[in-house]
Order: sequence, then structure tokens, then C-alpha cells
Amino acid sequence: MMDDETEQLTELLAADLDDGFTELVRVHARGVHAFLLRVAGSAAEADDLGQETFLRAYTALRGYSGDRRRALRPRAWLLTIAANVWRNHVRTSVRRPVSAMRVEDAEDMWSDARPGPEERATAVEDRHRLVAALSQLPELYRVPVVLRHVVGLSYAELAEVQDCPVGTAKAQVSRGLGHLRRLLGPHEAERKKVAM
Amino acid sequence: MKPDGEQTSRSPGPLESRLAELGQGGATTAEHFALRVLRRTGIPHTRYDTYVRLETAAGGLYVAFNSHAITMSVLESDSRQGQRPVTAERFEELHRRRVGRSAIPTEKPLAGLRPALRTGRSRHLPIDLSTLPAAERAVLEAVRAIPPGQLRPASWIAREAAQQMRAEAVIGVLAHNPVTVLVPCHRATDDNGAPCDAAYPHETGDALRHAEGMDPAAVRQWAQGDATLLGSTTTRIYCHPTCAHARRITPARRVPFRTPGDARRAGYRACKSCRPAAA
Repeated sequence: MMDDETEQLTELLAADLDDGFTELVRVHARGVHAFLLRVAGSAAEADDLGQETFLRAYTALRGYSGDRRRALRPRAWLLTIAANVWRNHVRTSVRRPVSAMRVEDAEDMWSDARPGPEERATAVEDRHRLVAALSQLPELYRVPVVLRHVVGLSYAELAEVQDCPVGTAKAQVSRGLGHLRRLLGPHEAERKKVAM
Repeated sequence: MKPDGEQTSRSPGPLESRLAELGQGGATTAEHFALRVLRRTGIPHTRYDTYVRLETAAGGLYVAFNSHAITMSVLESDSRQGQRPVTAERFEELHRRRVGRSAIPTEKPLAGLRPALRTGRSRHLPIDLSTLPAAERAVLEAVRAIPPGQLRPASWIAREAAQQMRAEAVIGVLAHNPVTVLVPCHRATDDNGAPCDAAYPHETGDALRHAEGMDPAAVRQWAQGDATLLGSTTTRIYCHPTCAHARRITPARRVPFRTPGDARRAGYRACKSCRPAAA
């Protein structure tokens, strides 16, 4: 089903750029936004970088022939652009540091439809700790971990975005998860002491 | 120190699934994000529809529209769409398939949409049915003319639509109503007076009718009785039982009729508001 959709989408892009692009945004805006939100840790930044990602995508598509549009794998292609936009952003921010990275997680977006207040509080806390740990994960690991497990790319797609062999992509994710577990570890222990 | 048992009991599951949940959390921001992307890229608004999710008596309703008219609406509880509830993504796919444009979430509903849903008066809401075959369009337009809080049988709908259609065919059209709730097919019944509810479960239809002041028990009672029409001994006019005029008849003055023929033979004429069949 996913493949069918992809095929339809690339056909649309080839036939009519504005219509195809609208559909591209509809289908993939969530994924691109989720990726940027989790690597950047800030909704405002994710928004800016996401806008830039799609603007670049649109400009690029305008220069592509129909055949080239038809041959696209839209999700991996878009996320490659997003990852590049993010890396450029990090590079510029390092040159001109503004402030420490903020870690945001807008609770109001998802606080509804959760079970009782207590479980909710625990869930919120868990989520906050995970988001914080992600932001401490070294750049090298954060991007592949988010792409694989938050956005849900396959290893093949991940390898395409990272421009590396599939094996390397798997290794990056696995090391990243290990690192993330270590980052979460001490917190969990501390929390338990407090709870006692 | 806590005993080990505690540790496992509040374990939030494997790290991977917790990460996957993070990907779903930002949906709302991402939604308005899509609209901002399209505006920033300069795609003209005529190239896509936008949609909102509004609350109704029967739960969430997705409504998509272009700059001047509503193009599609689907209840979350819609039973035609396979798995329930219908998610936003599913609605977008259905819309794409039917309307041929992308539906992008927005926060601003089309002017007049909220009041129409609140009051049930959706008759003058602009609804685009132009993609449907003429006969189906005529049927749905006839349904739109049924006032809130009232019911009409399928044969009435066919007659008002000026279509030579059997009741089953009318119900078939209602089953594919692409603008649920706003084209109020919860006000349509079969010719015995039982609500069709062709596009959703009966509970959904009951909830919608109840919100318009129609008691589900009373509706069922009418459907089970023999009488499909109600006359007044004062005016000697007969109506559909839910017609505003019929509801004003005092119980002592009510005369039930089974067919327009019976009413005519008793010297009654048809109401000009609810236009029951004349014999």
C-alpha cells in the first residue's frame, strides 16, 4: 500500500508540480516535522527548518524533468534535504552561538486522550526525560536514531539519507540506542531514589 | 532502595517504542505546519482544500472545504470506512480519492460551518456536490431540504428530487453521501418510517436525531405503528408526523392515517409545508 501511494505521488509530481507538491506536503509534512523537532529539540526551530526543507524541495523539483520526478523516493529524498538543512543549521549555530539549546515538548498537543492523571504525569515525565536524553545524544547518533525510530524509516531508506552502506546505518542506530540507554540510565536510578 | 519488582512494574516498555511515540506527539503542530509550508512556497489556495475536525452530537466530524464550499465530511464513527474511528490521515486519503485534491488541516473552519452544526440548519451552507451524477445530486439536495428535527421517507425524497427512483435506490444514494451530517441523511427514513442510517450505525443516527429534539424511542414507536401520516380534526390537514404543524396538534385532535388515500377519503388534504404524497 505504501508503495502504491509513493508511485501515485511521484506520478502526480511528474504530471503537475503544484498538485504533486501539495500532496507531498500532505503526506510527508508530519514526518519531516517530527524528525526536525526531535533532532533540534525546539518546535520553533523545527518549524523554520521544515519550511526551508520544503522550499528547497520545491525549488529542486522545478528543475527536475518528469522522469527524474517519477524516479524519486519522496520520503528518503525529503529527509535527506531535511538532514542537510539541519547539519547546515548546526554548523552556522556553532559559528554564531545564540543560546543553549532549548528542549521543548508541547504537552498540550497530546495531553488529552490519556488515562488518569497519575499515569499521565508519569508518561509526561518519561517523555521529558527521553526528549532531554535525545538532545544530549551526539549529533552523529541523534540523526540516525531519530530517522529510524521516531520517523520510522527502513534501514535501506536510512542508508540512502545518510549516504552510507546499510550495515553502517544499522551500526549507527545500534550504537546510538546504546548511548541513549546510558544517558537515560542514571536518571532512572535517581528518580527511583527520590520516589523512595 | 526500591525492590526490583517496582522497577519492572513501571517500565515504560522498550526504548524503541517510546521513541516511536515521540514521532506521533507533534501531530498538531505538524498539521498547521503543512499549511504554512504551502503558503510560504506560494502554492495558490485553489490547488488544495483545507479541513477541520469539529465536535457533533455523534462525535468528531472531519469537514473539508475549498475557499467557497464544503467538499466532503466524514464522521469518525463512519462505518463505511473499515476501521473505526476514522483517523485524520484516513480522512485525507478518502478526500484525495473522492475530490482529487489534497486536504490540509487548518484551524479555521469555513464561515457558517460551526453555527450550522450547532443548530442543525445546514441548508444554506454552500456544499459542492457538482462531482456527483445529476440524479444523486438531486436526491441529496432534496435531503438538504428536510428541516432539522423532522423526518421524511425515501419516497418523499425521490418525489422532491423529481426522480423516478425506488426507495431502495434512494437509500443507496444516501449510503454514499459524501457530506455526512451536513447533508442530513439522518433525517431520512424508509417508507415505514424507520430511520435508514445507511452510512453509520444506528446509535450515531440516534445521537444526531436526539440533538435535534427527536427522541429515539418516539421515532421507533412511529416506525412500528401502522400510521405514517397524522391529521388534525380541526384543520382537516394531514402531515408527516414530525412536521412542525403535526407536532402542534393536541392529542385529542390527532387522527392517524396509513396512506394518503385513507386521508383523502376521510376528507383531508395534504400539508403544504411538509408536502406528504397526495392521493
